[in-house]
Formats: sequence, structure tokens, C-alpha cells
Amino acid sequence: MGKIITIDPITRISGFLEIQAEVENNVIVNVKSAGLLYRGFERMLKGRLPMDAIYFTQRICGICSSAHAVASALALENAMNLNISLNDSYIRDMIHGMEFIQNHIRHFYQFSIPSFARIKSLKQVDNQDYRDFRLPEEINSRIEEHYIQSIEFSRLAHEALAIFGGKAPHNHGIFLGGVTATVDPYRLEKLKTIIGRILSFVSNVMVEDMGIISGYYADYFKKGISYPNFMSYGIFNNYEDKEITFVKAGLMVDGAIEALEAQNITKHIKYAWYKREQDTDIADISKKDAYSFIVAPRYNGMPMEVGPLARFIISGNYSGGHSCMDRYIARVLETDLMLRLMRKIADRIEILPNDQKPFVIPQEAYGAGLVDTARGALGHWVQIKNQVHEHYDIITPSMWNLSPRDSSGGLGVLEMALLGTEINNTKEPVEIGRIVRSFDPCVSCATHVLGGNARGKTVEIIV
Amino acid sequence: MNQSECPLMKEKGKTAKRLTEDVLSMVKTHSINKMNAIWLEVTGCSGNIISFMNSDTPGLYEILTGIVNLRYSNMLMGAEGEFAFERFLETLDMDFILLVDGAISTKDNGAYNIIANYNGDKITALEATRMAGERAKYVLAVGTCASYGGISAASPNPAGCISAVDLLDRPVIRLPGCSCHPDWVVGTLAYLTGYGEPELDEDGRPVLFYSITVHDSCSRRGFFENGIYARNFGEDGCMYQIGCRGPVTRADCPRRKWNGYVNWPVEDNSNCIGCTQRYFPDGMEPFVIY
Repeated sequence: MGKIITIDPITRISGFLEIQAEVENNVIVNVKSAGLLYRGFERMLKGRLPMDAIYFTQRICGICSSAHAVASALALENAMNLNISLNDSYIRDMIHGMEFIQNHIRHFYQFSIPSFARIKSLKQVDNQDYRDFRLPEEINSRIEEHYIQSIEFSRLAHEALAIFGGKAPHNHGIFLGGVTATVDPYRLEKLKTIIGRILSFVSNVMVEDMGIISGYYADYFKKGISYPNFMSYGIFNNYEDKEITFVKAGLMVDGAIEALEAQNITKHIKYAWYKREQDTDIADISKKDAYSFIVAPRYNGMPMEVGPLARFIISGNYSGGHSCMDRYIARVLETDLMLRLMRKIADRIEILPNDQKPFVIPQEAYGAGLVDTARGALGHWVQIKNQVHEHYDIITPSMWNLSPRDSSGGLGVLEMALLGTEINNTKEPVEIGRIVRSFDPCVSCATHVLGGNARGKTVEIIV
Repeated sequence: MNQSECPLMKEKGKTAKRLTEDVLSMVKTHSINKMNAIWLEVTGCSGNIISFMNSDTPGLYEILTGIVNLRYSNMLMGAEGEFAFERFLETLDMDFILLVDGAISTKDNGAYNIIANYNGDKITALEATRMAGERAKYVLAVGTCASYGGISAASPNPAGCISAVDLLDRPVIRLPGCSCHPDWVVGTLAYLTGYGEPELDEDGRPVLFYSITVHDSCSRRGFFENGIYARNFGEDGCMYQIGCRGPVTRADCPRRKWNGYVNWPVEDNSNCIGCTQRYFPDGMEPFVIY
């Protein structure tokens, strides 16, 4: 048996993740990715009011709360056969889009950069026991300066979100039937101004910094490669207007594009700390072989990578590979691309009243809300009975990326990316954290379990 | 209420911004020292530290260089693994402020939330909060989960979550809010650094931020007084009849506003959902009544 390396906490992510890697002759020969937080949202949501869930589910995640608002609203609108107006769709995409921008800027500068450049003026960031920092002094200090500047731009992204969202984290603006916001020329102009300022920083500074990092750490184009399976539920995809369309729902498996069929999604719980009791899954930390609170979602039995790189590959925007460094690059390029799309969407927003009315929740209904978010494909499935939630099911992007093994023993996406990785110095296994963070893990989001039985209408569970 | 009784008038000279500016300059001129701090994310969504990173003036960088020496933070620190957790242990022997972000999961002795693996020992959030909570000079419960249990303790409370206040047998300053407004945290930190403990209400909340209800200073109060009510979200008018929790909710959102002071839920045509309140979310639902 080789040397076991345990890294816990993996810091500079959202939530609690442990990586255990077995290393032989400086190569990872076995690996486990474990999410170490459980709250049980699906169980809490049973019996709650469907409209409240749009605000309630945002509390799953502090860094991507708007994503849950969108998925929850879409699921309910799907259950009620409700279509939202074009103008409300634009505004909702602005709110959600700004969440992407806040995420991506923070992920790049505050979470990722400290693994590649030294932030000397902040001792708590600089104090690390790794020495593999390769940037020449002058370049390093420029990037440190950008780390500091970026703080204002991620804050501004949340300010722009709040213009129509009310506040962030946990906005109020995204609601059943569209948005609650009133558009006026001042707010719209403010939004456009912020988009312009952030875009200028991203395209002039962030993209260049990414280029510099990828040059000095070019070996990471060969590390962290996982399965050639990618999936997206689509984002900025409901427009006929191609100029503002980003990526439609779809899959790329081994180089071939496939249509998404949501009924092919299953969840495997063999290696997750849950047991089935009647029709509910209960946390059980004594379960044999289990090692994570994250269940393993699979598509036709296959693990799927989700996130910016998956979107770029599926939409044909990327000709590179799918390594650790490619994931970082795709996220940075996506920040730039999305801001440009958002500028165009903002130009199309009209000064029109919102479409809110006193909605009536049906007695019984079923709906699914599938949408891509900053970290990838997010799904909410709802079943309503007597006007309250009978079942609520959530599969987050980080569940796809950070999952443990499935029922047949197949590794999760992150586990596969780490397997076979060469560790230069096992006393300083810096490679592991760099690869893990390329997925932008969010464990706050990832630890979920189905709250009820499937009845062929929600996601099937495989024990 | 006459002027001398109004808590707002009394606290007016101590706005979060004035406070932080004063303290920043006091630290710079070395008349006071920065305090050490541990930001402990536990059972929650980590939304309070994201909100903290949204602080406008001072921004995150000025806070970290000028107000507190944040020695441990899962989200911001450079180190990882055991080396990171050693920074946590080291700080316990210093004078420090503990900021708890999240509720504390107690089921199965805390096993539902592991925050570190140190020399093979799994450190639960329960254990870490106790370790730091016992030794900290001040404890701040940041957000509604840490203050009251919040959404993490929502019925049927599958993880057995409790607040930091209920866990620790000591005074804890409550800064509820889902999420907690950055000014509420930064203002309190500045106060502690520069002047010691701020005046607290009977629930342990700084009077400076939580002394009056949302309804008291609501920008739509005029609609209420004139009986003009909104029938649904998206409309102008007082939203009392569709379930706004402003009348019972203590927070200064209407005057402070959020995210660069640009907006707040009621001005976005939606209810206050009582997110700073003890019984949020269970006791504040339904969030909207149609």
C-alpha cells in the first residue's frame, strides 16, 4: 500500500471537502472525494409552500443562491405551464448572469490565484507550506495588485445583481412568473455602467493574468484530465435571437454531441452516507463503504463533467483539451463572453411593467427546472400535492463533479481527474488542490439526498 | 417617543462607516492594535462570508489589512489541510474574536459536518466551535443560522442544528440576517477593536443595527398610513396584506439598503421575509400570502 495523503480542509472553496489520495511512486493510484456537510434540504421542503421554495432553496448556497432561485422558479413554472415574458426573461438572466460574474471573479482571484501567485501583503493568504511558486517577482506583484483590484469588481457584480434582485446573497427579484423588479431608466443605465466597468477589468486584466498563469504552469495542461463526457442544461438559451444565445442543453460524449433526455439521470447512493427508510433517505454515517454526503448522479450510468469548460466544449467555443488548466481558462473566457452577452441583453431590456399577479398554486402538479449555473448543470424537481411540496429533489453541479463512486464502482469526475496524477513532492502535494479547485467545488450545494420516492416522476435512486 | 428616547438618535454618531473609518486610522497610527480573528464556517451556506466580502467601504482588503488579522478562514486562507488547521489551533492561544458563520450540527455527535482532518482525527464543527468559543475574547454569531439556528435548523431539522448561542455557555453577540449585512459585521468588528463591546439589546444584538423594525423606517410607510396596499409582488404600495414581515422584523434594511446601498427587498417590490428574526424561516412563512 502506498502513502496516504489527506487534505482536509480543501480551503478556498465553498463548503467542506476532503481528498484522500493513495500515492505510489509519486503517482495517485487511488482517491476518494468526500463532501462533509449534510443539512437535508429536501426533507425540510416537504410540506412547504411552492412559492416560498424560491427563497428557501437559495439558502442552500451563499455563493450561487440566484441559481437556485432560477431553478426553483423554473420548476414551479413548468408545473403550472406558465411562460414568462421576454422582458422578464432578460431581467432574470441579468440577475443570474451577475451571479456567474461574481462567482467567476472570486473563484479566479480569491480562490485560485493564491495557488499560483504569492499574495504577500495578506499574510493569511501567503502563509502556505508549498513552495512551487514560479512567477518572476515583477509579474507576481502585478498579479497581486490585480487580486486586490478584483475585490471591488466581484462586489460590483453583486451590486449589479441587486439593482433588479433587491439584495445578494439570497435575492428577492427572481420570482414565480418572472421578476418582481420595476425597470426604470436610471437602474438600467446603472446596470449597463457596471457591466462596462467589469468587462473592462475582465478583458484587459483577468484574461491576461490567465494567460500568464497558463504559461508558467503549462504542465497543468497534462494534469487533471477526467472523462470525455460533458453536459449542460443550457444558459441564455431561451431566445430566438442568436446574438444573445450562449449554450443550448446537450451532451458531448466522446466527441459526439447528443440531445439531453432528463429521464436518463439517476442517483447512486451506494457510497454515500444514506439509507432508504420507507420512501425517504436518511443520513447514516455508520453505513459500510460509504465515504461522502454527496450522492453520485449519473447520465445513462455515466459520470458527466459540468461547468464552464463543458459549456464551452458543447457550444463549440473551445478548441483546447479538458485538463486542469483548460477548466481554469474556460471559466475566465466565459466571464468575458457572458459579460458581452449581458451587455447585449441589457440593451434589449425595455421599460415595461413586470408580469406579477396573485398566482394560484395547483392542487397537484409536477415540474422540473433545469438550468446551467456558474458551476454547471442544476436541476430542481418538484411534485406538488394539496398545494404544497410533496417531494422536492435537487441535483447540483458540484454533485456531478465531486461525486463519490457509483453503484458499479465507477469513479466520480473529480476522482477520475486526480487518479494517475503525478505528485512531484509528496510532502508538498500542491497538485491536488490545484486540480480540485479547477472544478470550483461548492460542497454547501452538493450534499443532498432525495426526500421521497420517485414514482417515475422524479429522479430514480440506485442503492 | 421623544428624541432623547429614540435609540436611533442616540446611536447616530456611531454609524458603521464612521466607526470603521475611525478605527482604520487608529490602527494606522498605532493607538490601537488589530485584533486576531477566526472566521469559522460551520453548518450553513457560507453566505455570510460572501456577504462580508461584499463590504463596500472599507472593502475586504482594507478590513483584512486595517481592522482584523483574520488568521483562519476556510474561504480565504492560502493554506490547506493540516497546515491550515494548525493556524486555527495556534490562534486559540492568542487574544482573538471568533466569528461563527452557520449553525452547529449536533446529530451523531456532530458527524454531519467535519471541518478538518488533523493527524487522522476528524474535527467536527461542533468540536471546533466549542474549542474556539471557550477561549475567544468575543464571539460573534454572524447570520441567522449562528444566531438562532436559522434555515439549517428548519423543521424537521435533519442535522440537529442549534445556534452558537445555545451551544456556548458564554456571552455571544448576535448579528442575525440571512445573509448578515456586511456593515453589521464590519461595524461590530470595528467597534470591538476600537471601543470594546457595543450596546446590546436583550437578545444580544447591537442596538446600533437592530433597534427598530423594518416597518418603523420603511420607505413605503406612507402607503401604509394612507391605506394603499399592494395586491401582489411587483406592485407599489404597502405589502402588509400579502404577508410582509416588516412590522415584526428588527433590522435597518430600509435606510441602509444592500450591495453598495443600491436596493433592498421591499424596494424590489417583494416582502420582507423576516430573515433576521429568531423564528426564521419556520415562523416567518408563508413568505407571501395570495
